[in-house]
Amino acid sequence: GDDIVAAAPNVSLQKARTWDEGVSSKFSTTPLSDIFKGKKVVIFGLPGAYTGVCSAQHVPSYKNNIEKFKAKGIDSVICVAVNDPYTLNGWVEKLQAKDAIEFYGDFDGKFHKSLDLGVDLSAALLGPRSHRWSAYVEDGKIKAFNVENAPSEFKVSGGEKILSQI
Amino acid sequence: MPTLSGFSPRSLQLLTKRRDRERGKREKMAPIAVGDILPDGTLPCFDENDQLQQVSIHALAAGKKVILFGVPGAFTPTCSVKHVPGFIEKAEELKAKGVAEILLISVNDPFVMKAWAKSYPEGKHIKFLADGSATYTHALGLELDLSEKGLGTRSRRFALLVDDLKVKVANIESGGEFTVSSAEEILKTL
Repeated sequence: GDDIVAAAPNVSLQKARTWDEGVSSKFSTTPLSDIFKGKKVVIFGLPGAYTGVCSAQHVPSYKNNIEKFKAKGIDSVICVAVNDPYTLNGWVEKLQAKDAIEFYGDFDGKFHKSLDLGVDLSAALLGPRSHRWSAYVEDGKIKAFNVENAPSEFKVSGGEKILSQI
Repeated sequence: MPTLSGFSPRSLQLLTKRRDRERGKREKMAPIAVGDILPDGTLPCFDENDQLQQVSIHALAAGKKVILFGVPGAFTPTCSVKHVPGFIEKAEELKAKGVAEILLISVNDPFVMKAWAKSYPEGKHIKFLADGSATYTHALGLELDLSEKGLGTRSRRFALLVDDLKVKVANIESGGEFTVSSAEEILKTL
């Protein structure tokens, strides 16, 4: 499969955190290689924190299957969205998903643009965001990849589907 | 060609803004100041019944005294713990002194603003307006680049008192600090 780290060189993500954590970590960012190298990762992306399908269906489909992912040897389940890390953190705490899933912000959309997953959702009052998608990545190589036809749909990018593809 | 005398830097900019818009340019505006007319704009906002409204600033503010205050970001500490609560606490007093509307603007999408508003159960006097693409913030000349902190283009922290669309008080911080833009400072001017 394609190498996700090579597709997006010099791209870093911001781990969801409180402002204080941001200050104490000097607003550090996480390079993609740290996230993917030598690991089995399930990653999914969604249009935005605090929006309908993302909150009610997409995140829960991963949160509720976390034990199954672990049983298949997955090192991390990651959710990424074009949001700042503080808004994301507020949302994650509300969803009580922090234990199961690692959340990262792609605040300027660079990560998604590199993977050709950027989409303009200004009509939905969201501005530049990402498609709804999921992938299984082993040591940086994409082994399975699913993208919805429209960001509002939730047919192929859920937890159950990717579980069957590992 | 109009002469340059008698034009404030900002009003000169407004004259050339149409030309620039047609040329696809988005040049930085001079910051809004006392004596300026508050620019018009339409911002989305979820109301108490969770219905999405498109709020026109001029429709809300014409003929009335309103406060417009801005913050760098929803869910960040000074904004959440000091700036917004200050206006919630002083809302009744401000209304008693003739302020018809207290409007909050931040460069966030309306879903984030709605969630943030809900975290303030006593916040019914404040309208949380979403300036997701920073268009209105740009019209005010108050953008702030917070990319280093993972936030992108945001707004400086500020508070304006506006009477029938004319800016009477403009308390603008240079960045995100919290000194002159509080509810107490605006209350002193009423």
